[in-house]
Amino acid sequence: MTEENKPFDGPPLSLEEELAAARAEPEAGPDIKTVNEDLADGVNRCPKCGSTDVRLRGSTGMLVCLFCRNEWQESRVEEEFGLGEGIDDLQGTVIAGGAEEIDDDANAVVTLKCGGCGAEVVVDTAHAMNARCHWCRHTLNIQQQMPNGAVPDAVLPFRLTHDEAVTRIREFASKRQLFAHPRFKKEFVPENVLGVYLPYLVIDARAEATYAGTGEVQTRRWTEKHGDNSTTYYAADVFKVDRTVQFTVDDLTIEGAADRASKDESKTNNIVNTVLPFDTKNAVKWNSSYLVGFTSEKRDLDVDDLQPVLQDQLLSIGRSQVEGSIAEFDRGVRWEQEGLDVGGSRWVSMYLPVWVYSYFQEDTKMLHYIAVNARTGETMGSVPVSQWRLVLAALTVGTFLEGIAGVLLVALS
Amino acid sequence: MTALVSGVVLDVVVMASDGPPVWLLAAGPAGAVATYWALFRYYRNTDKSHSYERDTIIEAKPVQGGREKIDHISKTRRSGIDGDNSSRHRQRVNRLR
Ligand SMILES: [Zn+2]
Ligand SMILES: [Zn+2]
Repeated sequence: MTEENKPFDGPPLSLEEELAAARAEPEAGPDIKTVNEDLADGVNRCPKCGSTDVRLRGSTGMLVCLFCRNEWQESRVEEEFGLGEGIDDLQGTVIAGGAEEIDDDANAVVTLKCGGCGAEVVVDTAHAMNARCHWCRHTLNIQQQMPNGAVPDAVLPFRLTHDEAVTRIREFASKRQLFAHPRFKKEFVPENVLGVYLPYLVIDARAEATYAGTGEVQTRRWTEKHGDNSTTYYAADVFKVDRTVQFTVDDLTIEGAADRASKDESKTNNIVNTVLPFDTKNAVKWNSSYLVGFTSEKRDLDVDDLQPVLQDQLLSIGRSQVEGSIAEFDRGVRWEQEGLDVGGSRWVSMYLPVWVYSYFQEDTKMLHYIAVNARTGETMGSVPVSQWRLVLAALTVGTFLEGIAGVLLVALS
Repeated sequence: MTALVSGVVLDVVVMASDGPPVWLLAAGPAGAVATYWALFRYYRNTDKSHSYERDTIIEAKPVQGGREKIDHISKTRRSGIDGDNSSRHRQRVNRLR
């Protein structure tokens, strides 16, 4: 190649530009495209007979055609998008299509043109992902990943049936009857439980956490007598302690809706959080037919909003990992500083299935939940209490113990 | 609640004189408070949350680090270090960097 026809590759960079380029963060990894192309026309047809009357069959976790009873399912995202792999090599923040930033201006209400008869059908994506055409009874599905946060990358289908959820909720509440608020007992109808797909961000991450603090090791222990009383004293060596641990997490699961994520005392959201974890490895590619008959909640938190939550959880995980290495400090360790370096993270948005019984307590204006993980059956709840009954029980126990104490004192004196 | 707690204190103060183990009289109020909280937690479960430290797939490399002796306490009545947070993983401390 001669000097003349050498391809032009731009003017040489200045020193400042060279340095800036060298200092720049590594570029974010590629996005993961998770759109289900098979459903581009918004109609999910039975592969056997072509009917659009498709819904989830809870007992099998498969889609079933209500016309010919054919059953099938979407592929698992774990393999389809290679989500279980390469956590050790993650660089920067990798975001799947369904977890991308929400456009606040994007409308929740979407109009679809029916593929069967051409009528216009409206779907409010804040609450539903399907609608039936009134004219030809075609089922229309929201399949496109719109920037309004309503379509996730993956969905974990319901497995526990409504009946099974009712049984678990009834069991949970019936163990908590004696001190329950009388209105709650009167109005308790576990059949009112609703199946809801709640939005979560499921994160793989690679991190290094560092901790620094003070630890003490006991060197001596002795007792001194002062008249009738004796006091125990200790001697100890004090150490500066530091620890570093590198680790990866697979499928850390964080709430994607602000309403559900807020853990302040006026709400009982911790109940919904407590039924985690889910078997997220079994989540399948988005297909809104899995949502027929269930409601769903829209994601309204972005990856950026949740970075602090991720960091917080990674720091806690790191602390639990180093706990085993500080056993020599038998008087304990006080961590004073901690640092975190997230080498890389991968974010996928998922709908996870929960059966929710909710009860609004009028006098305290508090919303109570009994939630059932619709995969594992784990159940947790908040039952409003009758304060005066609780105090009465406490006083009864207290009086009884005081009686025994009195008898003992008389016997000893 | 506050009435019950001050009950404990009152009992201990009034009865703190020589003689039989009068602290036994704190058993009543302490038992009442403990009963209240145990029942309240069983119904409301305000203390529960997902244990992501345990119920997540975590793979960690061996922990690195060291220690350096900086002091000696020759006599104290404390049986443990002040502010031990080694098992309170969610209690955040100052951030480095
Ligand atoms: Zn069919
Ligand atoms: Zn139609």
